[in-house]
Formats: sequence, C-alpha cells, structure tokens
Amino acid sequence: MSHLSLLLDLQPAAWHDPTQSLQFSTFLAHILVFLNAHLAQKHENSLAIFGAFPGKSIMLYSSIDQTKPADRRVQPDPNWYQPFKTLDAALTERIREEMPQPSTSSEAEELPVALVGALAKALCCKIIQATKVEAPSDTPVVMPESRILIVSVSPDAAASYIPLMNSIFSAQKLKVVIDVCKIYGPDTTFLQQAAYLTGGSYIRVEKHESLLQYLMMCFLQPPSVRSLLAVPTTDRVDFRAACFCHKDIIDAGYVCSVCLSSGSDCF
Amino acid sequence: MPPRRAQDHNYMAVDSDSDDSFIVEDGDGDFGADRTRGAKSKGKGKAVQKGKDKGKGKGKEQPYSWEASYTRSWDAVQEDEGGSLQTAVEDLLARGRRRRLLGPSTAIRRTIIRHLILILDLSASMLDKDMRPSRFDLTLEYARAFITEWFDQNPLGQIGIVGMRAGLGERVCDMSGNPQDVLKHISDRVKLEPNGEPSLQNAIEMARGSMSHLPSHSSREVLVIFGSLTSCDPGNIHDTLDACVKDRIRVSFVSLAAEMKICRDFCVKTGGTFGVALNEGHFKDLLFEGIPPPVQTGAAATAKTGPGNPAADLMQMGFPTRLPDTAPPALCVCHSELKTEGFLCPRCGAKLCDVPTDCDICGLMIVSSSHLARSYHHLFPVKPYEVLMDKSSLTITSPSVCHACALPFRESQQSKTPATAPAEGLSPLGRYRCPDCGNDFCADCDVFVHEVMHVCPSCHDPKPIPQPS
Repeated sequence: MSHLSLLLDLQPAAWHDPTQSLQFSTFLAHILVFLNAHLAQKHENSLAIFGAFPGKSIMLYSSIDQTKPADRRVQPDPNWYQPFKTLDAALTERIREEMPQPSTSSEAEELPVALVGALAKALCCKIIQATKVEAPSDTPVVMPESRILIVSVSPDAAASYIPLMNSIFSAQKLKVVIDVCKIYGPDTTFLQQAAYLTGGSYIRVEKHESLLQYLMMCFLQPPSVRSLLAVPTTDRVDFRAACFCHKDIIDAGYVCSVCLSSGSDCF
Repeated sequence: MPPRRAQDHNYMAVDSDSDDSFIVEDGDGDFGADRTRGAKSKGKGKAVQKGKDKGKGKGKEQPYSWEASYTRSWDAVQEDEGGSLQTAVEDLLARGRRRRLLGPSTAIRRTIIRHLILILDLSASMLDKDMRPSRFDLTLEYARAFITEWFDQNPLGQIGIVGMRAGLGERVCDMSGNPQDVLKHISDRVKLEPNGEPSLQNAIEMARGSMSHLPSHSSREVLVIFGSLTSCDPGNIHDTLDACVKDRIRVSFVSLAAEMKICRDFCVKTGGTFGVALNEGHFKDLLFEGIPPPVQTGAAATAKTGPGNPAADLMQMGFPTRLPDTAPPALCVCHSELKTEGFLCPRCGAKLCDVPTDCDICGLMIVSSSHLARSYHHLFPVKPYEVLMDKSSLTITSPSVCHACALPFRESQQSKTPATAPAEGLSPLGRYRCPDCGNDFCADCDVFVHEVMHVCPSCHDPKPIPQPS
C-alpha cells in the first residue's frame, strides 16, 4: 500500500494567465485522472491533497478522514466507481470554494504561496509519521510507503529557505520521497534540493498538453518500484551557498562560527 | 527491609565517621549533606520518615537495589472502560514526550562546530553481564546509534574514538567528519575485544593531544563511557585534569558501574555532565543527552577579549561543485578509486567522494549549503506551544480539528483527575496552541513539530506586508 500526498501550488496569478498553453480546467482534469489511477492501483492506497494558496495552506481532500460533509453530498452514480466520484467532486468543489478570484483579491494575489505550510502539514499527516514509529513486534503491520508530489508553478520564496530545508530534512528522516513537477516558471533551486535529498525526481514539464503522460510515467509508481523503471532523477543540483550580503553564489568564502551566515570578501 | 535500612543508614552516618565513605558511595557523594541530614534525623529521633529525604535523589530511599521490595509497576496502569490498555499506554507515552519539551526555548548561543572524542572503556570489566547482552556489546550498539544521530544533528562536527585497553590509550579512529568512516572502525567487535585494566589518564591525554590543534571557535569535547571502578595511570591524573581545564576541554562521563570521585571531579571542573547508568534504557538516555549542541556559556563566549562580538570567528569554507553521474570517471583523492560522481574542491580542484570533509590536498573545509541549513534549527528553535487547560480559551470559531493533520482533537479520558495533569504539561483537551500564529495542534503534531520538523506549520505562511498609510 502506498500513500500519496499531493501539494498543489494554486497561485491564481499563474493559473489565470490567458497566455499559458495549459488552462486550469485542463490541468485539473489531468490531475484527477492521475489521482484516480493512484487509487485504482490498489484498494488500500491512500491520498491526501493539500492546496498552497497565497498566504495560506489548506487540506483539500483526505481519503483517511471519511467524515467530511462533502462526501455525503455526492449522489451515488451506478456508472461511476464511487471513490473516483467522491474524490473528483470533493476536490473540484473545495478548490472552487477556496481559490481566490483574481479580480476580487488583488492584494492577496501578490503574496507568494504558502508552500512550506502545505509541506509541513503533509508531513504532520499521521499516516506519514507512522512510517517512523516502530510497530510492536507481535503485530505485523505493513507500513505504507509515503511520498509527496509537489506540483509547482511559482518561483522560490527566499524567506522560506530555512523552514523549507527543515521540512526537507524531516522528510528525509521519515524516509518520505519528495517529487517535484514543475509546470510554469523558472527552476526552483530549493525544490531541486528537496528532490535530490529525499531521492525523488524533479521534472520540468516541457509540453504542457501531455502533462498527464508525465504524471503517469514518472510519478505514479511508488518509490520502491522506481529502481526497476529508469525514472529520470535529479542530476544537476546546485549546492553552493549564496553570500548573505550580495546574494551572489559563492564557491569559497567565510562562514560565521556562531550564526553560520556565509559571505565572500565583503566581511 | 527497606524502612529499617533507611534508619540504619542515618544512624551510622552520625555515629561512625569511618563508615561515611561506605555509605556515601551509594548516593551522590556529598559528604556534607549526608552528615547534616544525619544530625537532623538524630535530633528528631528515629521516627523520622523516609520521605523527608526526597530532595536528595532516589538512591537514598532504598540503599541498595537488591534490598528493595518489588515495585509493582503494573499497578500504576489502569484499564479503560473497554478493558484495553491502549489509552493508558498512550497517556504514559504522551506524558513522557511532553516532559522532554519543557526545556528552554529562548534563543541561546550554541556551539555549532563541534569536535568530540569518544573514549570507550575496553577493559575486562566491560565483559560484565549486568547489562544485556554484555556491557561491551551494549556499549558498541549504543555508540553506533549515538554516532549516527550525532552526525545528523551536528553535520559540521567531527568525531574521533579512543579505546582504553590493557593500561593504554588506543586510537581506534582518527577525527573524522564522515559518519561512515567512524562507524566502520567500531563495526568489528573482534578488534575491540576487552582486555586488561583501563587507563583514564592515558586515554584523556591522547584525546587532548588530538584536539590541541583545533581553532578556538570549535568546541572540544570528550565523552567517556566508563565501565570500570579503577584506573591504572602512569602519573598524577590531577595534572591531566588541570591541563583539560586549561585547554577548555569539556569532559563528560557515562559510568556503567558506580560513581568515582575523579570522574565526578573531571565533569564538575570542565563543565561536563556525569551520570551513572541504572539500566539499559537509562544508559541510552544518558549517552544521547550529549547529542544536542551544548549551550555556549558566558565564560566561553567572552573568553577571547576584544571589541564587539569576540568569539564569533569566521571560518573559511568551500562549497563544492557536484559532478553528475555522467561525468567522465576520475580518481578521487580520498580513496584513490575511479569514480564518476563526486565533488570538486573549489580551491585546488581535487575530487572528493563525500562532503562534509576537509580537502586532503589543500585542507579547506568543504561543506554543501544543505549541511549549513541542517544546523539552523538549533539556532532558531520553534517556540513551545501553550498547553490549553480548559474550555475558556476556546471560542465558537475554534476549529475542532488539529491545524496540521486535520484529525479531530482527542480529549483525555482521565480528565476527572485534573490535579495531576497540569504538572505533566498535558492538556486535557488535547490542544496545544502556537503562541505566534494562534492555531491549535494535537499532541502528536506538537511533539513532531518540536522534535523532528522544527517548523511550525502555519507561522511561515506569507503575510501581506502592511502598507504604510
């Protein structure tokens, strides 16, 4: 059994841009097919979806917690596999509720998305933490394999470097793989490091119309199977530090022994 | 019988001076306190209760563990309505974990660049089987766990290992910043087979010698795991102690047998910690207390006189270029093996297998930025969450689920006895509130956030910058 936490970067500015080749509705359709495929793989597979909105992060859907009122509103449909329908209806409705409209919230739109908050919440999820806790020896509990897929459209937020790195290290400790699927925007060094440090893949989607294929081929299979499948891994990661005063990338420099700030000749 | 014994103990402490050393050995080694208490109990007569001695450690209540009656630990566990122990066990766990969080949370200066010499006792007394499977095997097992965890928390530190065997100090492993290197040296238990007498002086002198070249901004620490009750030294060990104080080496002891005066002196004078392991679990706890970076004391921080912030040195470091798997193979300078992946030293261009390390060619300290980032959580700790005790702090808008994991809060089953709960720092509502962002978290997430993640899930959400009006 495997657990997937999906982090959607829902930056309205990026998604409402009419010049982009991938519209939000198409994107959502691709994501839903991918999630259905994940649920269809195995009956026990679980799913949690977090949305990173500007300035806040929200859990949009969780297959573990079945008490949400949104589930009950869904009418059973004989031609539709019920878990798929529950998921699709709940997710689209929650996004519609929470997604700020670009016209109404011009100020909130400027904020960077709360990716750190979403990642931290995903890691707090009990099913992920359970991988760490040793089960009592007399009960053979099969611990789920956990991974986090981040679908990112916005650039790095420099202010979130330390909390983001702390979250990455805790994911590493819990043996949670972080995958990154970059759709728009420049490459983010932070997320590249996340994927590299946890053994996941960082993939930049070049052809937006075939997003589903990227998702299916690279991110659907659980990490244990990936070694057999030649999934592209992160190879070029920049591990150099930036100088604190000029934000230049430095090769060799001086580091303060107390606060660990780095700098080059400017000290 | 324990009560009788306790009275005897006081009686003897007063009446015969010659017995003092015999009695004190079992307790805290504090002659003065023992005498005064003895005198007090004499004045009040023999009817004095054992409970009065409480302030002075558990050891006093029952002088010897083999004379103690059984402690019925199972009586403390209560079944819940369903006859299950699950809630009781959870409560015990939660209480233990909460207690760990009650430490200081203010910004304190810690030593980030650490150098530690681990001294292992490899004398014949380590073959004792009072700890299972034997002191030696247990020490090796815990030492491995300790080293792994230590490097995880202190990625910029270095560890060396010295063994005490047959009256000599024996270098088991040189100072190294690579956990795999260090672990390899203690993986083979046959090479470390205990033998002969230990020599504390030789081992500490060897540790001191190997740390003498270190710059002043790095800490010099020695951790001794000591299983013997004797030490066979070539000279005066107090000279070694003075030299350690002079070199500002922190010596800590974990004793497996009993307290020795000289060990205690080492710890007190050099600012280390001393502990005698009561059992296997306690041994591990004592050992792992040395993992978080020590707080820099005022004396150490201002040791170097000068203007401004004197102890803040700048260290030269190199940030290497990582070679991808597809790079042409080349020989590495550390193992002379042909490899494709690796790191290039930015100063001399040598190829290294692993970071962090010191470049073998030019001696530059090579780290990657993620190693620096790994230490940041010691510098910027998450504030401890406030324990919500009653419903008055809740409003109608308070969510009924944990802000992080979105599971409903579990109210404690034992809320009928509120007298015990506040001391334990356990919320009867199962809610813990972040003082900064004001969100409520459940007990599990609270512990996870503070012990593993070091990030509050909602404090870092980007906030709108207030517009100057």
